[in-house]
Amino acid sequence: MNEPIVSIVDVVKEYQLGSTVVPALRGVSLDVHKGEFISIAGPSGSGKTTLLNLIGCVDVATRGTVRVVGRDTAALSERELTRLRLETIGFIFQSFNLVGVLSVFQNVEFPLLLQGKLRGHERRARVMTLLEQVGLADHARHRPNELSGGQRQRVAVARALVGSPHIVLADEPTANLDSETGERIVDLMKEMNLRDGTTFIFSTHDAKVMAHADAVVKLADGKIVGRDSAGAALAASGSGGH
Amino acid sequence: MGQLFLIAVRNLITHRRRTLLLGGAILGVTALLVLLLGLLNGIRSTILESATTLMTGHVNVGGFYKVTAGAGAPVVTHYPKILEVIRKEVPELDYVTQRGRGWAKVVSDTGSLQSGVGGIDILHEPGFRRVIQVKDGSLDALAEPGTILIFDEQAQKLGVRVGDQLTLSAYTVRGVANTVDVRIVAIARNVGLLSSWNTFVPDSTLRGLYQMNDQATGALFLYLKDVKQVPRVQERLRTVLTGAGYSLMDPDPRAFWFKFETVNREGWTGQKLDVTTWEDEISFIQWTVTAITWLSYTLIGILLVIIVVGLMNTMWISIRERTREIGTLRAIGMQRARVLAMFMTEAFTLAVTATLAGAALGVGLCALLNLAHLQAPLALQLFLMRDEVRLLVKPSALLGAIALIAGCTTGIALFPSFLAARMQPVTAMHRVG
Repeated sequence: MNEPIVSIVDVVKEYQLGSTVVPALRGVSLDVHKGEFISIAGPSGSGKTTLLNLIGCVDVATRGTVRVVGRDTAALSERELTRLRLETIGFIFQSFNLVGVLSVFQNVEFPLLLQGKLRGHERRARVMTLLEQVGLADHARHRPNELSGGQRQRVAVARALVGSPHIVLADEPTANLDSETGERIVDLMKEMNLRDGTTFIFSTHDAKVMAHADAVVKLADGKIVGRDSAGAALAASGSGGH
Repeated sequence: MGQLFLIAVRNLITHRRRTLLLGGAILGVTALLVLLLGLLNGIRSTILESATTLMTGHVNVGGFYKVTAGAGAPVVTHYPKILEVIRKEVPELDYVTQRGRGWAKVVSDTGSLQSGVGGIDILHEPGFRRVIQVKDGSLDALAEPGTILIFDEQAQKLGVRVGDQLTLSAYTVRGVANTVDVRIVAIARNVGLLSSWNTFVPDSTLRGLYQMNDQATGALFLYLKDVKQVPRVQERLRTVLTGAGYSLMDPDPRAFWFKFETVNREGWTGQKLDVTTWEDEISFIQWTVTAITWLSYTLIGILLVIIVVGLMNTMWISIRERTREIGTLRAIGMQRARVLAMFMTEAFTLAVTATLAGAALGVGLCALLNLAHLQAPLALQLFLMRDEVRLLVKPSALLGAIALIAGCTTGIALFPSFLAARMQPVTAMHRVG
């Protein structure tokens, strides 16, 4: 395989809560390659979100190395990290996190405006293509509060992908959706992964969601306790439920 | 930038109750500021116009002539020569008039009073007609020798009407008592303080009373094209008149009649010139303008502080409510500067919209009050030298008011916006939970 798109080596992340140091990750190492569709699984408090935050360059490790598209995130300035996120990473949040005062179209267009690379008509074409792919072209002018939870998450998927990122990070993207809608969202993410070769890393508790992944990285108490294929992981967890 | 503006406008609309409350407060303060500035400028301009027509030019060349050390008279001798110097050395000059200055006892059949007597050439004093409103009689008739204009208040005290005879009694420069009889040709409406102790007669009549030749006058009133040039012209005149061999009094920013005591105490005799400005001559009423100015600015300052605290508080609430949005935008790649710009755009949009609306309201109110011919309180009439308050909205003051309020209200948003921009994306997202 080629050089990993994400490389994490002996990463420790600690939070200071008053005088107490709380370890969130305790020496995690992980490689993710381009085009992988990886699930990070583990119980609450196992460090899933912290790991995603470090990969997403929205947080920095206490110790260890995090390399994203070959760049050591500890060596980058705040401005460079922001630029790296803009150019390289797409985010899908559990609570959708759309800008309420903007329409569906404007929400999806926003990362392109921040990138400032495309002209108006190019942006419009790109946004409409993405909205068609997520099945929301007819809702382009709607506001997020006029959409269902599933539709909102599809907007979030479109927003995450519009800037052609190398990696899409999704923190429990189905947690606020019913199981059927959740599956459809994961199907959509998988479809994008297969078509564009975009790397997806998502956290979940849900075994059904995990089943779509190429590999499942299991976390417990801030440590990676295994990396299995989805089938093996499902079998280990007793198939089906949580 | 368009997207930031869109977010700003839509956020303002979404939180319309808060927007209306804060916008209304900014609007109100702006309107009040415009109104107060209109009032201040109106008072200032009215005093300037009235005073510079009735009592002083923009710059004056007056002075005292003393036959003996203790008997100073407000007289300038050989004024045509001085006039020549002025015309040559003051290109800023619009026009110049000469005005006799006297102090006499005015006697009627039934009463008497002490009054200043101004000697004027009514045909060459266009500004005089704008300021003096004749209640009875005619200003044109004041061109005839042996006539007088008095004010309503004086007419009542003396028990006289147009056509009646008065006698003016005064001591000449040589200390000889003299009198002249004058006919009342005009009774003017009161003009504040001046109405109590000023009358106007033709210049020749005043010369007759003081037994002066036609080369002497009380003072030369210089009216400039631009009143801002006053200090420069005053300074230059002092230099050139000294250079031309005239003796000049030391600068003393008071009206000429306050200087009698000082002048009479000094040992010199002959002529000394005094170059004063309109502000010197009306310094005794200038304090009212200063007091009103300070009072207004204090009031505006207090209101501004209230607005600023309100806006700051609103920004805090807005930022707190939008923590997740900030975190999300930062996560998807918005730089700190853009977050700052986003909040500043919101504050700026609100501030500018409310300020412009407030300024329009303020201008409208000023226009309405002017149309209503607002009667000035008696105390204010004394200083205004008019019975009506006129509000004057100057474009520069209007722009200044808009810039001040919009600038302050936008500027105060800088700190909370800066803190919002400093927020770490992970912290912002985590806080939401």
